Amino acid sequence: MDLFLLAWKNLWRSRRRTLITLAALSFSLMLVQGFHNLSFGVYSEMIDSGVRAGTGHLVVYQQDYVAGRDEKFSFDPQKLVSQISDLDGVEAVLPRLYLPGLAQSSRESRGILLTGVDPSAEHMINPFLKNLTAEQLPTLSGREAVLGSRLLKELQLKPGNKFVVTLQRRDGELVSEMFRVHSVVTTGIKNVDKSLLLVGRERAAAMAGMPGEVHELAVVLQDQRADRQVFPLLQALLHDRPQLRALSWDEAMPNLSNAIKLDYASQKFIFVIMLLIVTIGVINTLLMSVMERFREFGVMLAVGASTLRLRVLVFVEAFLLGVVAMLLGSIFGSLLTWYLSAVGIDLRDFIDSSLEFGGVVFDPIMRASWDLPYMLQIAGFMLLLSLAAAVYPAIKAGRILPAEALRHH
Amino acid sequence: MPLIELKSVSKIYPLGNQQVVAVEDLSLQIEAGEFTVLAGPSGSGKTTLLNMIGCLDRPSNGEVWLDAEEVGQADSKTLSQIRLNKIGFIFQSFNLVPVLTAAENAEFTMMLMGIGKKQRRQRIVDLFAQLGLQGLEDRKPNDLSGGQQQRVAIARAMAAEPAVVLADEPTASLDTQTSEELLALMKELNREQGTTFIFSSHDPLVISHAQRVVSLRDGRLESDR
Repeated sequence: MDLFLLAWKNLWRSRRRTLITLAALSFSLMLVQGFHNLSFGVYSEMIDSGVRAGTGHLVVYQQDYVAGRDEKFSFDPQKLVSQISDLDGVEAVLPRLYLPGLAQSSRESRGILLTGVDPSAEHMINPFLKNLTAEQLPTLSGREAVLGSRLLKELQLKPGNKFVVTLQRRDGELVSEMFRVHSVVTTGIKNVDKSLLLVGRERAAAMAGMPGEVHELAVVLQDQRADRQVFPLLQALLHDRPQLRALSWDEAMPNLSNAIKLDYASQKFIFVIMLLIVTIGVINTLLMSVMERFREFGVMLAVGASTLRLRVLVFVEAFLLGVVAMLLGSIFGSLLTWYLSAVGIDLRDFIDSSLEFGGVVFDPIMRASWDLPYMLQIAGFMLLLSLAAAVYPAIKAGRILPAEALRHH
Repeated sequence: MPLIELKSVSKIYPLGNQQVVAVEDLSLQIEAGEFTVLAGPSGSGKTTLLNMIGCLDRPSNGEVWLDAEEVGQADSKTLSQIRLNKIGFIFQSFNLVPVLTAAENAEFTMMLMGIGKKQRRQRIVDLFAQLGLQGLEDRKPNDLSGGQQQRVAIARAMAAEPAVVLADEPTASLDTQTSEELLALMKELNREQGTTFIFSSHDPLVISHAQRVVSLRDGRLESDR
């Protein structure tokens, strides 16, 4: 019989109270783990969707292009595309050109962002183009254009119609060229649908007087968690070209990154409040348990137990409570995560089928992803909270005077 | 040198604005191996005196010597070590830990002393045989009679082989026959192992078994015979 066995037996003196406390602890751990994993899954999907349509998990720009989107910061990628493609973990490298301009139909004109892409490379990666067939893609140097659905409507165009794009060439001259509506996409993001105009990269570069040049090399990884491994390799490749900078997606897309951070911060706040409430419950349980044993603690002191030993006993009881709650909560949390990843939460009855958040469209069926390091971390945190909850009851236990406790009935 | 010596000991408790004198200027010597009863009516200071001898309480004035060591003003840590190593306690209401079995209760002090499990178990087997508790090792206190519980409490007090066992009204919750049996048992332990027993009691039965009776009244020594 040692202190752990005694503490374990003490826990089950008031079976109902211990079970209720365990249920509160493990239920809150289950909720925190399950809903964190749900957010983790949703954020991962948003990031994935965002980076595929946007900058990639990693991106190469010239100097401060990201700060002002000044189109003069273009560069010739030379062999970079193939060199980056050869790096381990890289799924695709997407060269892109972004040119602000004006689109005019015979009836309307609108400001647009002419985006020059490699259609075949983008097809399987870029979510804006994933619903198009190979025939619906523009060619690299042709005059076919893919328009956002709102832009098409505002220009009062139909597929097959011609329209004119005017933009400023690098030498300052205005240049206009005619394009034809080849296909139409609806991304669900209002601003994108209003301004999206995709054409072949060579055509766009030639029109802007910067043949062979790009503004961005978007690097899409096979696994977004590999960005820390690939980033230094990418920087090493750029060593000889100091005017080029490699950035991670969160630096290149601060809107999306900040939206996720803000959303998760509010969720964390709720988690903390929930865990604090549960901790107060544990304090109550342990304190009641100590006060009920006032006389018994007096007897233990009388037969030779030190006050330190009584304090340790209370901490061991809290530790065991925390360990059991940690195990049960993690089992329930895993079951909840499994359900949320397999079935998910279907929001289609409550919201539009396409939902925009942080400039990215995400799936209205929210699904969880496993974040095991976080699950372990929060389970450990729960154990620490249980121990913290034992501090006051342990202090109370240590202040018991044996003669006084023995007079207590 | 006596095992226990009290020199002009007083104990005063504050009670609101007043002070209650529980023990007043009391001196007493108890030799090793004695079987002594502190007798007296309720409120005479028996339990207070026993608490000071047992290092559960400190005197307001005077000195308490135990085994050639002045313990009256020792710090809490020292007092708990002295209680663990030199003193065994038996209480009126048994005070066993309800979640532990009879054997676990009895070996509690040995566990506190850090004695190994095997050695503890052997000591409990011997003690339980001596106290007539064989077969009850795995019973919880609630499954034992009052007499059996008090025997387990005696086993707990004796397990670590203390110099002195202090028993506060040990028969007050028991019937006469059980009390008689337990007193005979404690007397046997006193005789065979030389353990000093000090009781507080106003039970004539206990007093009749005592080798020495120290009578108290209003916190003062009335007689010592």
